[in-house]
Amino acid sequence: MIRTLPLLTLLSSVALSTVASATAIKQTKGSFEDKFRQLDETLPTANVYRSAAGAPGERYWQQQVDYDIDVTLNEQARRLSASQTIRYQNNSPHQLKYLWLQLDQNIFKSDSMAERSATFGNELQSNPIAKPAKISLNQLRRQQFMADNELGFVISNVTDSNGQELKVTIVDTMMRVDLNQPLASNEATEFSLDFAFNIVEEDAVGARSGYEHFEKDGNDIFLLAQWFPRLTAYTDYEAWTNKAFLGSGEFTLEFGDYDVEITVPADHIVSATGELANPNTVLTKTQQKRLEQAKTAKRPVFVVTEEEALEKEKSQTKDTKTWHFKAQNVRDFAWASSRKFMWDAKGYQQGGDEQPLVMAMSFYPKEGGDLWKKYSTESVIHTMEVYSRFSFDYPYPTAQSVNGPVGGMEYPMITFNGPRTKLQEDGSRTYSLAEKRFLIGVVIHEIGHIYFPMIVNSDERQWTWMDEGLNSFLDGVAGREWDPTIPWGVEPRDIAAYMKSEHQTPIMTQSDSVLRLGPNAYTKPAAALNILREVILGRELFDFAFKEYAQRWKYKRPTPADFFRTMEEASGVDLDWFWRGWFYTTDHVDISLDKIYQLRIDTKNPDIDYGRLREFEKNKPMSLFVKRNREEGRALWIDKNQDVQDFYDQNDRFTVTNKERNEYQAFLDKLKPWEKRTLERAVAEDNNYYVMEFSNLGGLVMPILLELTYQDGSKEERMIPAEIWRKNARHVSKLIITDKDKPLASVSVDPRWETADVDIENNHYPRRIIESRLEVFKKKKRDGKVYRDIMQDSKTKIKTEKEQEDN
Amino acid sequence: MKAWLLAIVVVLIAPPSFAHQLKAAITTVLFNQRSGNIEIMHRFHLHDTEHAVERIFDDHADLFNSEEDRARFAQYVDNRVAMRISPAQPLPLELVGAEIDGRFFWVYQQTSIPKQFDTLEMQHGVLRDIWPQQVNLVNFEGLGKVKSLHFNGDDNWLSVSF
Repeated sequence: MIRTLPLLTLLSSVALSTVASATAIKQTKGSFEDKFRQLDETLPTANVYRSAAGAPGERYWQQQVDYDIDVTLNEQARRLSASQTIRYQNNSPHQLKYLWLQLDQNIFKSDSMAERSATFGNELQSNPIAKPAKISLNQLRRQQFMADNELGFVISNVTDSNGQELKVTIVDTMMRVDLNQPLASNEATEFSLDFAFNIVEEDAVGARSGYEHFEKDGNDIFLLAQWFPRLTAYTDYEAWTNKAFLGSGEFTLEFGDYDVEITVPADHIVSATGELANPNTVLTKTQQKRLEQAKTAKRPVFVVTEEEALEKEKSQTKDTKTWHFKAQNVRDFAWASSRKFMWDAKGYQQGGDEQPLVMAMSFYPKEGGDLWKKYSTESVIHTMEVYSRFSFDYPYPTAQSVNGPVGGMEYPMITFNGPRTKLQEDGSRTYSLAEKRFLIGVVIHEIGHIYFPMIVNSDERQWTWMDEGLNSFLDGVAGREWDPTIPWGVEPRDIAAYMKSEHQTPIMTQSDSVLRLGPNAYTKPAAALNILREVILGRELFDFAFKEYAQRWKYKRPTPADFFRTMEEASGVDLDWFWRGWFYTTDHVDISLDKIYQLRIDTKNPDIDYGRLREFEKNKPMSLFVKRNREEGRALWIDKNQDVQDFYDQNDRFTVTNKERNEYQAFLDKLKPWEKRTLERAVAEDNNYYVMEFSNLGGLVMPILLELTYQDGSKEERMIPAEIWRKNARHVSKLIITDKDKPLASVSVDPRWETADVDIENNHYPRRIIESRLEVFKKKKRDGKVYRDIMQDSKTKIKTEKEQEDN
Repeated sequence: MKAWLLAIVVVLIAPPSFAHQLKAAITTVLFNQRSGNIEIMHRFHLHDTEHAVERIFDDHADLFNSEEDRARFAQYVDNRVAMRISPAQPLPLELVGAEIDGRFFWVYQQTSIPKQFDTLEMQHGVLRDIWPQQVNLVNFEGLGKVKSLHFNGDDNWLSVSF
């Protein structure tokens, strides 16, 4: 019996990681701010499931869920119907009386929580001269589609392994299955159900899957994801992660084995998670031969050529074929089907013990064109080459890139990527440079996601940054290794503007409530990781620690604390200040070099020191009064009366007498031998002593990267570690000593913009005038090419031939 | 009971997609005492701009190679940003130019720093008319602490005080 209950709870945020101001400790005297306080009191307590090292504990557990699904695609009706058997292995120490499943297709029901809580994005004015409100054609199309089609799962026949009916309760996009017997710890249970649903038109409703219809040839591309009822994750830190699916937060899922049989029209090509178990049935001998060739080919080999795909577009068969896929140790299963697909493949000879050969494959319609032919499969392989260096060998038999209506989305072994070529009037297909960059970038990013979070299975819903941030960082690395002239990756300076704004929340904020998800979950964490790698730890330590994290949590479920702890423990560098500043606060980086004092050691020897003092006095600017007197030619008394003189006319106040010399000698005699040696050496070396004063205006403590420019033109870099701020997070002074023959001319902090410092003007001493972007731009325009009023020129009409001749 | 007549205008919009367009722009409004100008520097993700230009103008727009297309987008931006001290005192913005720098597309505007003001109002609808989820962050700099405005949803004129 299926019953729908009224919605019980609103979206309640399970805030597991609290903001880093530990409420038990309160500094109420003075103004000391401990930026270096250890994070232990904020992070969850280490336990047998997650150790203090940030590794899985000795009693780490996670569930395993295996699926056996038989599904049929009804192309005409655009409907899927299926039956599935689920085997649920309860590895937790707890007894479970019920299981929660996700029914993501239910988000499209008109009464889903997502639908009912969606806001109307337009201001309505109710007065006679009000402007009309606006509703997009898109919104209308969506409403019409949802009105015309019954959407959401139809579930039936839910029975346990004995054939007994199981009671289910549907709560929006979740379904609770009440087990007939409680499931004890370390036991497994099996149950089955039938389901069906109408596939949404992806462009119409905006989803991560669906069909796309091509008017010209009358065919569809089907991308299927979130297409079967599946178990929500049951974890040690949250138990059932049963939150209603609102559309943007993604999924937490369990690992398991899949056995899926997909029945589609006989002229379709199917791409899916897993390995094809029945190639003899669904592939021709030619296709199988081509696949074999592809394993060792230098460039992708077409398994289905463009001509063959074009031929298939012309008709639609009524026959069907069943494609049988098997996948081990995956957390999800997605697939795509179309007769429009051409299919290329190239073997990636990875070597190693785990998966020496990975088949990289791409599936795309003619609309993908040369862009896909050249770059898709090669990008897939490039991604694996780079990412594996930072983590582990790609462990699955295949990695695929499929073109369809979805811009970019990731699933185990298969990704959906959107870029396409444009059909020109002359029948050719072209693409812009931007589209090329987009394709390569999105394939790298989505295939990268197979590592994070499809294998290192972080909770995307709660901590989006753990996969998006890490992946944005790595796709920058991979992109730069593809072609450094294409600006990939996140530079620290890119995030400065966001970090200084008032509108932001710390990275460690619950995903659903984050104001600007992009910068918070993707860009800022990626910038932080870049900085951690290039500035704080250096590549060797960072890469070692990062790899340790990936390998510890391969096929497991890490939380932010596990990442923070692993990076620290494996690198050997205290990073709590870094995580605290970058992830738990909204502080930004603004380090100012306020002053530099130049000093010289006193020798204590009056014969030397007094002479210096005299020079120092002489070098002071002359008093204006005296200068003007001179200019007026005023005669001085002492000049007019040179016959009246005394001792002090010959001996100024810097005269050295034996009294001073005796005092000096007495001073030397009192020195211990080591003191005397030290002083003598310092006097002999006569180094330059500079005291530099820094302020931390942004709050985020960071290392101070100094560039010293000497008067002889040479430069030197020195890195002052962030720990300099440990006693005073606001102001510090640093003594820098340089050789006598190396006096300083100027000093700069972070000259190469590596720390995301938001204000460069206070980084230079002496201060330089830093022009604003706009000032620089205006200068460029004038000095460069002849200044054009492009705004005006663009209004110019093309002259007809006659007009040209007349002129 | 009065029935309010609401005229609904239908507008063309691009479908939401999960492409890695970030749909977030940052604008710096700098009070530059050296030049005496308020310098407005808009930063868009080039990727977002490419797709926007296709929607707004035509499928064959190419920002990389066409100065005209860059100029057209700059004009589009100029038409959707406005500043004023109050409804009676608008600040006319001059479009200075546009350029591509790495992954970003910059559009520049300027106006003179007004003599007296405590509050400024701003309108920033760039890309919000084609993408409802577009968010435009504005940082006001040069007058002490950075102040920010955040445009999304149905925000129209927002004000900031100094």
